[in-house]
Amino acid sequence: MTLESRVLSELGTVYDPELDEPITTLGFVGSCVVTEDGDVSVRLRLPTPQCAPNFAFLMAADARAAVGRVPGLRHVAIELEDHYTGAEINSAVARGDGFADAFPGETRGELDALRALFQRKALIAREGRLLKRFDDPGSVKLGQLPGPDGERCRELRRALGIDASDDAPAFVTGDGSPVVDFARFGRMASLTALSLETNGGMCRDLLRVRYSGRAA
Amino acid sequence: MYVKDGKKYFVFDSHLHFWDASPANWVKGAEEYAKGWIECFHAYQGLGPAETHWPLEKFQKYTVEDFERDVFVNGGVDKAVFQSTYLKEWYTTGFNDIEMNASLLERFPGKLLVNGRFDPREGTAGLEQLEADNEKYDLKGVKLYTAEWYKGSRGWKLTEEAAKPFFDKCVELGITNIHVHKGPTIWPLDKDAFDVSDVDHVATDYNGELNFIVEHVGLPRIEDFCFMATQEPNVYAGCAVVMGALMHARPKFFAKVMGELLFWVGEDKMLFGSDYAIWEPQWQIEGFLDWEMPDEDAFSDFPRLDENGKRKILGLNAAKLYGVEVPPELRGDVPAEEPASAESAVGVA
Repeated sequence: MTLESRVLSELGTVYDPELDEPITTLGFVGSCVVTEDGDVSVRLRLPTPQCAPNFAFLMAADARAAVGRVPGLRHVAIELEDHYTGAEINSAVARGDGFADAFPGETRGELDALRALFQRKALIAREGRLLKRFDDPGSVKLGQLPGPDGERCRELRRALGIDASDDAPAFVTGDGSPVVDFARFGRMASLTALSLETNGGMCRDLLRVRYSGRAA
Repeated sequence: MYVKDGKKYFVFDSHLHFWDASPANWVKGAEEYAKGWIECFHAYQGLGPAETHWPLEKFQKYTVEDFERDVFVNGGVDKAVFQSTYLKEWYTTGFNDIEMNASLLERFPGKLLVNGRFDPREGTAGLEQLEADNEKYDLKGVKLYTAEWYKGSRGWKLTEEAAKPFFDKCVELGITNIHVHKGPTIWPLDKDAFDVSDVDHVATDYNGELNFIVEHVGLPRIEDFCFMATQEPNVYAGCAVVMGALMHARPKFFAKVMGELLFWVGEDKMLFGSDYAIWEPQWQIEGFLDWEMPDEDAFSDFPRLDENGKRKILGLNAAKLYGVEVPPELRGDVPAEEPASAESAVGVA
């Protein structure tokens, strides 16, 4: 594996926290340049200049952490471009500072609670997609959840501190308790999935319009 | 009125603008934001059909003649509400403040209403301005943009103590329709700015006195919006953006979003809004009248929408909220008491 493909592969582990999709498949990595000496320059771009600063910060900071896991690099620069809080975010991420340092006086804390809130939404959305495959979802164990959605459910549960062992109940609410009322939960989960998918669709459309005619 | 296949429809456009985002109106030192904002809107226009796209220059500032042709002539709009949006930290005279929108009132008598706005961070001066605006324009509604920047603050929540006197003032003055538009920033910045739970609280507090129309159906938090709206009798769905951004670009998502809204919120509580000049009304109205829920398994759980339901969404619901009389021949078979009724959702909390 070349250094560049390692960097790209690490960037693929960075998710848009709001959409629960990798920034690489969303097209948010505008460019990624790795020199022979191991200097990396990643430019991130978002669908609008007004995308929420908190989610934008998480993606930039996560990208920096992810690229930093690749051995043999010299200097890593992550730059969020064309964003109305780009200057604040870029300088904080370059310093390795947190969100509160990027926007002094404008926050009450870091972004852990926000991230967890959207991990819960993401988990419910994934479960919503899987639910239809089972006749008796109450009896299904986590290890039986198939494919990328199943794998992502396990990842999200680990991140949230929810039991992620194979024999744990497959379908849980956002706080980790097993689902009881599947009719209602299914309805809410499919709406949550639709919301994430619709937002993802709009983000892709806006990104395409915004950068049409410009090289990716 | 909009005429299609020999049938006549009453159209109430609950959300449009007459803006000036031309470079001459950009605040010095904030050009980057003013430019970014209008270019972002322009990108949204790109989600509509290609033949309705405008060049950026026209999009920044269009004429009264454009407005008349697009909204009244081609769109057949009977009544429309300007949702005044200030953004005065970025645009010198505002993006489209009440005065600018109101400059069209006399030109099109009886066709237009202006909504005011308030911002609790302006305190007593803001309350006095609201009274003055009401005195001048007999307001029936306000548009609240919670992500607006003001003196170093990047937004506010409806539940803030400072907002209460403003809602009380709206009750006192008979300004009953509160349009809420969430944006990407709010204080504190580490919270989800799009969260609609503050609407939930004030809707409960002012049930029976104020209606809360959540613009863009809470997008990008449509799930939170639906769960909330299904429990609150005085919460309505402003459908601007749903049609504009999805009907043409993402028809499957459009159908599912409509299905969810019909299920959780109900056809009596959905309001058409073109969001002009982001999108022209005509193609949205035409497409909506043509639209039917797809006859596929993936859509089988959703309620269907018939001609009467479309009439409510296109005009009758908003007309009811704004006290506008609709000629009987434009009502279809919709009973007088039905539009905007408190409970039409299929899914009950």
